[in-house]
Amino acid sequence: MLDEELLSTHLQELRRGTVVLACLLILEQPNYGYALLDLLGRRGFAVDANTLYPLLRRLEKQGLLAADWNTEESRPRKFYRTSEKGLALADVLSRDWSELDTAFRTLKGGS
Amino acid sequence: MTTTSALIDRYVDATLRRLPERQRPDIEKELRASIADAVDDRLDAGSDPADAELAVLTELGDPARLAAGYADRPLQLVGPALYLDYTRLVTTLLATIVPAVAAAVGLVRTLQGGTALHVIGDTLGAAFTAGVHIAFWTTLLFVVIERVPALRRAPARSWTPDALPEPPSRRARYGELVTETVLLVLITTFVLLSPVVSSETDAAGDPIGVLSPWLWETGVVHLFIALVVADLGFSFAKYYARWNVPLALAGSLVGVACAITLIWLAANDRVLNPAFAEAAGWPSALPRWINAGLVAISIGTLVHAVAEGIRRARRR
Repeated sequence: MLDEELLSTHLQELRRGTVVLACLLILEQPNYGYALLDLLGRRGFAVDANTLYPLLRRLEKQGLLAADWNTEESRPRKFYRTSEKGLALADVLSRDWSELDTAFRTLKGGS
Repeated sequence: MTTTSALIDRYVDATLRRLPERQRPDIEKELRASIADAVDDRLDAGSDPADAELAVLTELGDPARLAAGYADRPLQLVGPALYLDYTRLVTTLLATIVPAVAAAVGLVRTLQGGTALHVIGDTLGAAFTAGVHIAFWTTLLFVVIERVPALRRAPARSWTPDALPEPPSRRARYGELVTETVLLVLITTFVLLSPVVSSETDAAGDPIGVLSPWLWETGVVHLFIALVVADLGFSFAKYYARWNVPLALAGSLVGVACAITLIWLAANDRVLNPAFAEAAGWPSALPRWINAGLVAISIGTLVHAVAEGIRRARRR
């Protein structure tokens, strides 16, 4: 059996970076921090709140996300959406992901 | 909207305190909204308000870690990009400056005529202080570089195979071995002949040895020569036999023992014969200078033996 710690380290390594792509894709529809956390979890991209919130700001700083404060509701929320630049990056990353997927399939099929 | 509790206030404060002033208002609003959303979610699921808050804050984790994420601050003193440069600089500085400081202090203290214990104590103390300073300030420098992005952006020197250390050629090491042997034979001959062959004679016409008769009376001279011969033996063993830990350790220990014996003899003025200095009409400062020179040479040998041991051990 694989031991717990070894498994979690390798899974973490493999998934690192996928959250960024998932965010860029999901945020084509504007959304705010907590709702995004929830949505990511339900779509199979479990991520910690203390990783996601700083990540959103980092992506905003890099110009991949645009953000606006929505103050119409009683609780003001910061809504993020993917920018042009973010969409372009999402495109490249998605393509890379499919190429990797194909490569893995070939590997497994060829053995 | 839930009223924020004292616990949430404390959490938010603890996070914001670690952030630059200009980021605070925006992050505070967003963080509070996110926490409130998460708490509401749990309340809707039927959780008790106090439990909901505790659970949400526990999930968010250490505010210091959260703040580091917001500020994009590294959670390490020196990161992998700089670590190798850091260790190389520290090792180089330690290997050059510490021995230099030790030799200088040892020399000065010997010239001032301190006792052996004082000379050794002061030398070790100065070496230790120098080492601590080097380690501390270099680390601090790299910690700053790690945290100031403008300094970090400098293009990293890329590594090429040219940087690999050259193995010392066997011929060069053979040269060292021959030199060592010749020196040893000359010094031993000089030491053993010194009581009987001398430029000065006493009133009875007997030669006055240049080395202190105390060395022969106590047998220390034989101990010293035995150590020096053993040291040479280890040099040969190192050259011809395969390197292994016990051999290297024994060799280094003998080398260190040689050097320390000589330091002790010189610092206590047991090397030269005062009667010879008087007969030859030496200026009174000369014996002290010779003692100081012997101490300096011994410290140099000491440092060399230790450095060589470390270097060889590392290459295996």
